[in-house]
Parts: sequence; C-alpha cells; structure tokens
Amino acid sequence: MELVGRSHEGRGSGDVAKHELSQDIKTHFRVCRFIIETGVKLRMRSMPVATACALYHKFFESADLPAYEPYLVAMAAIYLAGKVEEQHLRARDIINVCHRYFKPGCEPLELDGKFWELRDSVVHCELLILRKLNFQVSFIHPHKYLLHYLLSVRGLLNRHACARTPITETAWALLKDSYHGPVCVRHRPQHLALSVLYLAMNSYGVELPAGEAEWWQVLCEDVTKAEIDAIVSELMELYNMEARCT
Amino acid sequence: MDRDLLRQSLSYHGQSLFSLLRSEQIENPDFNSIAADLSKSVPQRRDAPGGTSIVEQFVARKADLLFSPSWKSTSIVQYELQEETSEPYAVMPPLEQFMEVPEQERKDLFYRDVERGDVIIGRITSIREFGFFVALICTGGGLERDVEDLELTALCPIREVPSTRSHDDPLSYYQIGDLIRAGVKDVDRYQEKITISLHLSSLCPSMGKTKLGVISKEDLPLHYSRGASDCCESYEKILESSLGFSNPTNVDVLLVKLGIDETLSPSLMRGLQKKHFLEEDFADNIRKKQSASWALKCVKTGVDHFKAGRHVEAMNEYNKALEIDTNNVEALVARGALYATKGSLVKAIDDFELALETCPSHRNAKKYLCQTLVERGGQLEEEKKLVTAEGLYKKALTLDDSFREAEDALRKLQMHIQKTLKLREQEMAKEQEKAKTVETSAEKLRKILKEEKRMKRKRRRSSSSSSSSSSSDATSSSSSRQKSKKKKHKRRHSSHSHKKRQRRVSSHGYRSDEEDAEESYPAPANTSASFINQKHAVAQLFEDERSQGMSKSSGSFCASSAAEVLEDSRGRFEDDPFECSPCPAEPGKAKDRHGDKCLGSKPLERDVNGRERVAHSDHRKSDTPHMVCKKRVSSTSESSAHRRYSSSSAGSEYSHKSETQSRDIHSQGMSSHRWSDADKKESRDSRRSEGNGHRSCNDYSQKSRRFSEGGQKKELPSNLVDIFSQIAQFEKEKSTKQKK
Repeated sequence: MELVGRSHEGRGSGDVAKHELSQDIKTHFRVCRFIIETGVKLRMRSMPVATACALYHKFFESADLPAYEPYLVAMAAIYLAGKVEEQHLRARDIINVCHRYFKPGCEPLELDGKFWELRDSVVHCELLILRKLNFQVSFIHPHKYLLHYLLSVRGLLNRHACARTPITETAWALLKDSYHGPVCVRHRPQHLALSVLYLAMNSYGVELPAGEAEWWQVLCEDVTKAEIDAIVSELMELYNMEARCT
Repeated sequence: MDRDLLRQSLSYHGQSLFSLLRSEQIENPDFNSIAADLSKSVPQRRDAPGGTSIVEQFVARKADLLFSPSWKSTSIVQYELQEETSEPYAVMPPLEQFMEVPEQERKDLFYRDVERGDVIIGRITSIREFGFFVALICTGGGLERDVEDLELTALCPIREVPSTRSHDDPLSYYQIGDLIRAGVKDVDRYQEKITISLHLSSLCPSMGKTKLGVISKEDLPLHYSRGASDCCESYEKILESSLGFSNPTNVDVLLVKLGIDETLSPSLMRGLQKKHFLEEDFADNIRKKQSASWALKCVKTGVDHFKAGRHVEAMNEYNKALEIDTNNVEALVARGALYATKGSLVKAIDDFELALETCPSHRNAKKYLCQTLVERGGQLEEEKKLVTAEGLYKKALTLDDSFREAEDALRKLQMHIQKTLKLREQEMAKEQEKAKTVETSAEKLRKILKEEKRMKRKRRRSSSSSSSSSSSDATSSSSSRQKSKKKKHKRRHSSHSHKKRQRRVSSHGYRSDEEDAEESYPAPANTSASFINQKHAVAQLFEDERSQGMSKSSGSFCASSAAEVLEDSRGRFEDDPFECSPCPAEPGKAKDRHGDKCLGSKPLERDVNGRERVAHSDHRKSDTPHMVCKKRVSSTSESSAHRRYSSSSAGSEYSHKSETQSRDIHSQGMSSHRWSDADKKESRDSRRSEGNGHRSCNDYSQKSRRFSEGGQKKELPSNLVDIFSQIAQFEKEKSTKQKK
C-alpha cells in the first residue's frame, strides 16, 4: 500500500538478531500506538480498543512481519473489534482517520477509485485476521476485574483518603497503556488487573490493612508476587520504549 | 502538584524516591517550589520490599502526571443505596473478611471510617426506657465492613425512634431480637460509642430511599449475606459466580460509579496526552468535511446540467448532494434556484431559508431569496392575498435593504391596499347610507306603492298600461329592498322580451329606468357585437371596469347624474335585443355589496348580462326562500353588485343604478302600488325567462348572483298577464318617445 509507509529505520548498533527483534517490537509498539490513537479519534470505548490491540498481538504471534503490512492489519483489527465489542464503526471513518494519521493536515479523501481500493483491502484483511485466529476473536479483558477490585479495595480505605488519591484513574490509565505490548495477551486478565492495581497503589503509597493474607493474594489466589513484579516491570518497559520509539 | 499526595508517596517510599524525584523532575517548576517543604518531611527509608526501585523510577518520571491536581476524579464518591433486586455488577463481601484482618484492627478501622449518615444494621439486644441497644451486624449501603463479630453496640435513644402510634410508647413496637436498620447519628470514636437513629433525616440525601426500622432477613445487604453464607469461598469464586459479573455492561456501570470518564481517555504515555489530539483529526470532523466536499462535487455537476438546460439531471445531482451532506449550503442554494426557475417558488423559498440558517452570510442565497420572495409576492398579489404578499416584500427588504424591486413592489402594494381599504370604507359608508335610505324610504315606498296601485287602477281604467307599469316599475325600482331585485328580474325579463325599450322619455324616466333596468339587465351594449365577447374576458373586463367605475361612480349617485345614468342605461337597453338568445353567461352577481354605484361606464357585456339575468332568474328561482329573503333585504347595492359582477352585466349595473337612482328619486313620484306587482312581475318574468332559456351558466359567480336574485324572485308570484301588459306599456312609451 502506497498509502501506508513503513518507517523502519536501521539501527546499526547491537546484535543483528536482537536488533531485528527489537525492531519488530518497536514496530509493534508503534502500530499499537497507532491503534490506540485511532481509537481515541474514533471515540471508541476502552474495551473495543483493547480488543483491537489484542487481535493485533495475537495475529502477529503466528505471523511474520515482512509478510503482512502491520498498519493494514491494525486498521482491519479496529474494524473487527468494533463489531465484536458492539461499537460498530464505519470503514469510511477508519480510512479517513488513518489517512490523516499518515498525512497530517491533508484534505479528506475523495470518493474515487483509490478510496474504494482502500476499503476493499481493509475488508479483505479483516477476513484474513479471522482466519488466522481461527475465528476466536472474543477476549476476556482485565477491565472488569480491575473495576471490581477497585471497588473492594476502596471499601477498605477511608473514603476521604480515597477521594484524594487518584488510584482509579491511574490504574485505568496503566491498564490502557499496557496494550502497547503483548503483555496484554501473555497473562491472565486477573493477573494483569491485579498488577496494575498494585502498581497504582504503590505509586501513591496507599497502604491497606494487613491481614492474614495480602490483599492481592485475596483478590486472585493463583497469583504470586513474582508474577506481579514481572508484569510491573514489563509495564515499565513499555513506558521506556515510548521514549525510544516515538 | 498535589503536596499531600507527594508527601504520602514519599513517606511510603522514602528518601530514595525523593532523590529520584529531584533528578527527574528537575525542570518541573511545580516540584521545585515544594521540594523544599518535602525534604523536611521525608523520613528515612524504611524496609521496603525489593523491586520498588523500578516503581520509584516510574513514579519519579511520571510525577508530573501522577500528582497533577487535574488527575483526580471529578466526581465525589457518593454512597448510594444498593438496589438489591438488580445486580449490575458483582457485589462482593468486604475484603477484610477475606483478608482476615484481626479484630482490633477492624475495630479501629471501623471507628475511623464510620461517619454520620451511614447505614447500620443490627439486632436489638435490650430495650430500656430511654431507648434500645443494638448489636451491629453489618453496615448497609455505604461502608462495607465486617463487623458482626466485633460485638459493637449502638444505642438508639427514644427520641430517635419515630412514634408509630399516637399515645403508645413507641418502644413497645420493638422487641428483642428484631433486625433493625438505622442511620448513624453520632460517633464517639474515643469512647467507641455510636448513636443511631431511626429518622430518615439522619441519613444523607442520596440514601433517602432507605427504609429504616425493622427489617427482615431478606433485606440484609447482599455483601453480608454473600459473605456470611460461605466463608470458605474465595473471592474469585464468589466474584465469578455472581450474576452481576456476567453483565456485559458492568464495565460502564462501574466506570460511572468509580468516577472514571472515558472521554478524557487518561493515559500515562507522553504521546497520548489529551493535548496532542487535534480536534480536526477526529473521525466525525473529517467525515463532515469529506461529506461537504463530496456534496460540492455533485453540486458542481448539477450546476453544469442546469446551465445546459438539463433540469432533471441537475435536480438529481442536487438531491444526491443533499443525501451525502444534508444542509449543504451550496446544494440548497442551487436547488432553490432550480425550483425558482421551474416555478415552485414555495419550495425555493424553503431551500433558501434553510441555507441561510446554516450560513447567514451567503450572498447568493440572500440575493436569490429576495428575488424569489418578491416574485412570490407578485403571485400572491394576483391571488388577492395582499397581506401575505406585503409580509413577503417586507421580509425581502429586511434581508436586503438595497433591493430595489422589493421596495417598489412593496410601495405599490401598500398603495393598492390603501386604495382598496379606502374604497371599502366608501362602500361601507355608502351601504350605510343606502341602508339608511332604505330604512327611511321604506315608508315612502309603501306610500308610493299604494299610490301606484291606485294609479294603476286608474290607468287601467284610463287604459294606459304603460304608465302604470312604468309607475309600478318606478315604484318597484324605488324600493331598494326586495323589490329592486325583483324588479330587476322582472325588468330583465321584460328587457329580454322587449328589446327596444331603451329610449325612454325622461318623464317616464324613473319607471322606464326601472323597467329599463330590468330589461337592461342583459346589458345594453353600445356595440351590437358585444354579446359575442367571451364571458370570461367579459367578466374580467367587467370587474376591472367595475373597480374603476366604483371609484368613479362613488360620486355619481347624485340625482344630477341620474339622467346621465338613465341615458346610459337606455343605451344599454339597446343591446337587449341581442341578448334574447339563451345561455347568457351567468353574471357573477355574488360579488360586491359595495357600490355597484358605477353603473356608468360599462357598456359591455350587456348581452351577456341579459342572458345572465335570465340565467340568474332561473337560478334565483331555485334558491331557497331564506336566501331570497336575505337577498331581498340586502341593499340594492348588493343586487346591483350582483348584476355588476355578472360578466355581462352592464345592464345589471344599469339596472342597479337605476334602482338606486330610483331610490334616490323615489320621491319624485313613483307609483308604489305597483311595487309588489312589479316584483311579482319580476318574478314572473324571471320564471318566464327561465322557461325561455334554461341557459347554461358558465360562470359560477353568475350562478351565485342568480341565486340571490332568483331567491328574490321566487317569492314573487308571477303573473304573466301583468308582465305582458308591462311590456306593451314599454313599447308604447318607446314609440311615443320616438314619435316625439
């Protein structure tokens, strides 16, 4: 697609394989950033955006980057996610926003042959994703777990202290940002939710009363501290990557 | 940056965080300002679990976002009563229950957090005279705490118990062991005393629906019953087994409950901050622009079609454009122009107005709208909807002050309106006069009638039928009311039959006028060919002339002009012979009441008039009596009006005129006795004429006139003999005149 340009820049330093790997990771990061941005401009809710990212990550678990155009896959993933999560999007809107993403400040597309070609390619790619994922396109997302955990934790806190401390916003933001990387599909949703909450509480220094069991242990029994830490570190890595990729 | 938050975080993490913060946030002016404060309060680093260095790094880096005041949720945490029937999300038992927090800590926490206005559920342990004691079981609708085994008691004093019955002790309603839901009225943390109340006023307004007092086991809150039933169940199991967890929209519900706003899309990524998103990049804005440009393309092709004359294709293109982008200004203006060219002015106006709503400064739209409004005003003027037309012109002027045509048209119209108003007023005045004259002349007429009768008898004896008839005619004409019309009919008949009645000796003037009037109803035309005229054209001309004539004639009713009128009428009579042919156009007589005064200048259509009159008479006879009465009672002007409006009716005018004249001149000696006879004769005549010619009336207006006149005629008995005698008289008079 001449519309979508791939901005792979070679970085000379480091191991080639590692470099390639990180290059791919960077690409994925950028494309996920593209998905999330497009989601904001399309006024999508958090769940469809999460589904779109999850679809993308899952697709490229088994596919190679050179074979498929990642941005096209991303657009098709958004289109498909809207259908799955019942927030139907028009292909025309997706194409408009994406076109403007690559050519900022340009005029909207004309209704000509090029437009119809784009639309066709998005639709075809959607079918490709479906086939690649064996039509298993509904995911259980950590969002509802996180919200319920938040409720329970909030019950333990003093209401005024809770009002002062923006744990909910931070946790929610962390969860949404986690979709930049494959961490979202590599862990159980409960664990991811828990880790995010843990990080949020930790950041603000909020302490819960200690009981026989830790609160996070109570919320999800099969999680270990190590796992939480691992997830937290992955999240941190994502934030670090932002500085390097964009 | 929120100082308290920072302090809290720092106290948790310790010095290391502070140093990190210092290094990361070195450019942040907010931080620098409070750094000094913070350094004092930072404790020594305590034993923190490993791995927090990453977190600290993260916190330090994102401190400006994490601790910014705008990061907090805008909505205040409000406790609401949990709807027990529906479960939009999973309601979980208190977390401390799972955590197995030790009692003392729970107690402390409880006392720390319980506040006035919370809801408490407990069981009555003892009832005293000053109140009753309640052992707390759980909290309801606010805090969710596990307090059952804490053995806390609360007191509900007697004054907080609402009286259930008037004179009984309110406490008697309650028994030991009852489950009570109450609101916390007061908390004494140090002495660990809680006072509860059963009054709703003790609760905060959001909990207003809570039922306080005795409850049953089913009313116990879900979080309690869930937790109490099976304490061995894990949190996760309970969560996933509860119905609310499977609710697809529980995320949305909880977002609202927790106060997270999705539209703000919070993120800790630098690139995803709100400020980086341009409004025009959003999908709906791009769509709007795109639709506008696509629609514009269609409009352009449509305009090309329009210029080439292919209106249908142009309209199709415009409609296509409006489908793509409704309320597209250019498309609306172009379509409006097309409508205006085709003649659908109303639709054009709608389109232009819609375009101007969206874009009030569109030059073309304004221009076209002004033009179309003026054009439409012109149309309305023709339809006589003068006020609406005026409104439109004014509207056009408000839009564009310099629009010449609109100003001109408006002025013209206003003048026209004023004119018509004036004329109307005059006519009204005249009608009133006539009415007066009618009233005043009624008696005179009666006298005259009597005289006429006498004279008639005399004449009959003297064998001058003509004079009697003429007198009768005169009298009949003089009576402005019913008689005039009848006379008219009569005379028309007579005129039909006797074509040569035109020239009358002035002495017989009045009578002859009456007769002539009647006879001349078929419009004695100056030209013999006038009866060939088309009825419609005639009607139109007639009306025009009438209106003009009205103005003219308003002054002309004086007796001085009577003679002239008579002359005219006579002249009209001349055409009567031509009018004998059947099927005159039905004079549109239903029209004006106001002054047929201007009988003067309508020599046309007399033939038609005559025919119309006949038709009139036909129709009149068919009228209902009450119509007749009405018509009769109506002023002569009305009848004259009728005649006038008959497309043919110069004659009718004439007859009317003669009637009015006769009215005016009645004092000059009209035999009144023949009045009724005359009327009768009229009716007879009319009937006869009906018999002669059931002429098809082409003009509906004429028909209406006929109705009015025919009605009048109906009442009159027809006496053929009288009519014939009258006719004979006329002829005689004529001959005598000619001889003279």
